[in-house]
This record gives sequence, C-alpha cells and structure tokens, in this order.
Amino acid sequence: MIDFCNVSKVFNTDLLKKDFHALKSVTFNIPEGKTIGFLGANGAGKTTSLKIAMDFIRPTSGEIKYNESLGKNKLEAFKNIGYLPERPFFYPHLTGLEFCHYMGALTDLSKAEIESQVNVWAIKFKIDFALNRHIKNYSKGMLQRIGFLATLLHNPKLIILDEPLAGLDPIGRKELKDIIVQLRDEGKTVFFSSHIISDVEEICDSVIFLKDGEVVFNGSVDQIMKDNIKPETRISYFDGDSLLTEVIPNNKKEEYLSKLLKDGKEIVSLQAEKPTLEEIFYNVKKN
Amino acid sequence: MREINKILTIAKFTFKEIIKSNILVNIFFLGLGLLLVTYVAYSFTYGEPARIALDFGLGTLSLSSVGIAIFIGSGILAKEIDSRTVYMIISRPVPRYCFILGKVMGLILVLIVNVLLLSTLTLSAYFFIGGEFAPILMWSILFILFEAIIALLVVSLLSLISSQTIAVILSMIVYVLGHAIDGVKLTSMIAKNKVLESIIDVYHFFLPGYYKLNLKEHVIYKQNIELDYLVNNTFYVLFYSLFLITLCVLTFNKKNLD
Repeated sequence: MIDFCNVSKVFNTDLLKKDFHALKSVTFNIPEGKTIGFLGANGAGKTTSLKIAMDFIRPTSGEIKYNESLGKNKLEAFKNIGYLPERPFFYPHLTGLEFCHYMGALTDLSKAEIESQVNVWAIKFKIDFALNRHIKNYSKGMLQRIGFLATLLHNPKLIILDEPLAGLDPIGRKELKDIIVQLRDEGKTVFFSSHIISDVEEICDSVIFLKDGEVVFNGSVDQIMKDNIKPETRISYFDGDSLLTEVIPNNKKEEYLSKLLKDGKEIVSLQAEKPTLEEIFYNVKKN
Repeated sequence: MREINKILTIAKFTFKEIIKSNILVNIFFLGLGLLLVTYVAYSFTYGEPARIALDFGLGTLSLSSVGIAIFIGSGILAKEIDSRTVYMIISRPVPRYCFILGKVMGLILVLIVNVLLLSTLTLSAYFFIGGEFAPILMWSILFILFEAIIALLVVSLLSLISSQTIAVILSMIVYVLGHAIDGVKLTSMIAKNKVLESIIDVYHFFLPGYYKLNLKEHVIYKQNIELDYLVNNTFYVLFYSLFLITLCVLTFNKKNLD
C-alpha cells in the first residue's frame, strides 16, 4: 500500500556537528491485508520512517509511493490511512467526544457517522465511560485508547501506529492487541512500530527490522522462525511427581526417548527447540 | 468547499480549546482590574475623568489583545508539535494551509471575544462617568483588534522559523518598533542621515507600522481624523495580513514537523 523507495534522511541540527544519518536507503513495501511489525531499537529510525511516510518530514533522498488502492494523490490516500503518533497528548480542554468529533469532521464524516462510529469503538476500547471527561483528566492508557479510537473513526484501509503499546499495563496491552488482531481479521492492513518484540511475534504476519537506519530483515514471522530453528528437541516428562524438561540434540532424540520409555517415564511433550523472535533479533543486533 | 469546511472546523475547535482554558477567567479579572483602575483614576482626577477612564480602558484593551495574540499565537505550532496533535490533524486529508488558516482564524475569534468584552466594560465605564459617544471610538476599538491580528500573524510567522521564546521576544521588539518608528523618523538625527532614513524606509516596506493603528490620541483629545486615513489604514491591515498569512502558509508547507 505504501512503498519506501531508497529513502534516506540526514539530520543536521548544528553546523559544528556531524550529519546524523537517520535512514540509509531504506526500501520496503507495506503489503495489503497484512499486519506488519516495524521493529528496531530506540533510535533505529522507526519514527523517522513513519514521519516520512505521513509527509511530516521530507526525505533527503528517495521517495514514498502511495498505491492507487489508497487514492490517486496524497490527500486522497490520507482518507484511507489512520495514523496514531507515539505518546500522544491531545487537546487537554476538549472532552474525548469533542476530540472525536474534531477528528471525524476532518475526514469528512457527518455528525451521525461520527456518533455511530464512536458508539461502536468506545465500547470496544472501554473508554465509553470517559467520553464526556476533559482529556486533561485522562490517564496514559486512556489517551492511547481515545487516540486509537480517533484513528479508526473513518474506517481506514491502512492503519499506521507508532509504538501503540508502549507504556501500557499488561491488561491494556492485551486489549489493544486484541483490537489489532480484530482489525487484521477484518482485512485491514496494520503497520505498527514497536521495540517490544514479543508483542510483534504474537500478532504480526511479517516484520521489518531496522538497525541503525538500515533494513536488516524484511519477511514473514514464520519464515524467520523456521530459518532460526535449532537442531534440538525439548522433551518434558514426569519422573515420579516431578515434571522435568531436557533439551536434546536431534540426532540423539530417538535414543533418549527409548531410554525414557524403557525407564517407565511418562512423556508429556516433545517440541522442536525454537528461539523467540526476541532472541533472533538480539543476535541480529549483536552481529 | 471541503477545504473551507476543514478550515472552519479547525478554527472552531481551536477557539473552543482556548476558550475552555482559563483565558475567559483571565479576561474577566482583567476587566475587573480595569474597572477598579478606572474608578481610582476617576476619583483622583479633576476636570476630565471620562477622558482618563477612556485612556486607561483603551490602553488595557490594546495591551491585553496584543498580549493574548503574542503569547497564545507563539504556541500555535510549537505546542501542537510538542503534544503531537498536529500529526493527528495533518495525517488526515487536510492540506497544511488549512491547518494554519484554521488555527489563525480560531485565535482571531478569541481576540474578537477579548476586544468585545473589554471594550464593553471600557465604554460602559466611560458613558457612566459622562463620556459622549463619537464614531471614532468604534474605529479605535476596531484598530486595536487589527493591531492584535497583525501581532498574531507576526508571532505565528516567527514561531515557524524560530523557537517559541525567540518568537515572543522578537514580536515584542517589532511591536515597540512599529509604534516608535514614525516618531523616530521625524527626529532631526534621522532627517540629516540618509543611511538611517533608508533603513527606516526599508522597515516601513517590510515590517508592520503599528503606529498607523493607534487612534488613542485622536479619541482622547477629540482630534479630527479624515475618513480616508481610516479607510486607507484598513486596507493596509488587509493587505499586510494577507502578506503575512501567505508567508506563514509558504513556510509551513516547507517545514519539517519533527
């Protein structure tokens, strides 16, 4: 839906300081109907990439192409994009409902359409009880929820979220992740940046990993897991009342299993030993 | 048509956000202070109490309007970027010029409310003390609003190209210069020095001539003023505002919002 073509961004904030290359010839595309995780450590260039995608800042070189499925030009494309910035802090003196009306009106929705959308999403986001409160009285989680709600008001095809789960408590994270999964099931394209790899592993079809402004991996989660699977098997079994777990090299698996069965142990599970996405990217970062 | 609706929507919510902050309370207390000062001045003045009341009233009105314009206008963009609210707006199908025009329009509405409230108080006190109505009074209040609008546009433009603090300081300097420049030109030192005279001519060309909008002397001392002068200066405000708005839009279109 959006193509990044050799996008580079150089910041020079001070004449006496060296240029900072935030992005180095970044190329990838956001495919339709997928949930894509945009990973990278702090300062890897994730937010800069998203700001360039949304035309808040211009690239030093390269270009961003919006597919025709989004619209013929940038403004038309933005009608079909919902964007939530990182750690938003909205107008403190407006109520949540007024804020939703503001955002809805800017996407050409009528009052009735805004109200019906707010009614649906406010319940899903569990923010309906606070819609008439001033935003200055919202907690961080509530701000994230009202921002997410406003992002979805106009039923966008592509949803871009910058660190949507950062700073939320486990329950809040779970609830927002459930909504992202629901959006994916409805056929929406969700592109979200995060440095919490376990969240991405849980809900994404594919990942793009940025390191020091460069794309170091772009592919499906399944593929990267398969490529990094270890030649080991994790065996869990009961020894009397104790549940024990052993990791055995694959070439000794059968021999070990026979021994356990012969000794009358109860096998509970047998699993290929696979690293978490976090471990894989930790190694990428180290290398 | 859609763009106009978007500008009006941004203006409406900008106005709402500012009005729902404590600004109306501040204006209310300013108004009370104004009445108190007027009463004290009236009690201690011999001969022309109405004139003194008007002098205080118009002075407060002018300073409060320009103060609101400069201090709130300087945050027009800086606060929006800091809180990332600007991203929520321009990530929607809203051209950047709509954002700037909507914000400015919302702030102008706030200035109009301020001028209406304080001028009502000022005129009430003036008439209560025995002052007489003259059309120049209305022109004077209108020109105070114009002065605040220009100050708002100046600070908005400066905040787009510098930090909020620098924008406030520069706007104040431009405000003081804009009032003093005409008097300075009449001094013998400038009249004798061609270089300084040309510098002032350049100033007149680019920077706002706030002195043109100061009718206080005419009002208080009941001096005659030509209608042509008022109409010409109204057109000056119109064209100068358009010039500043155009610069704001062009600058904002090019600006990296990081």
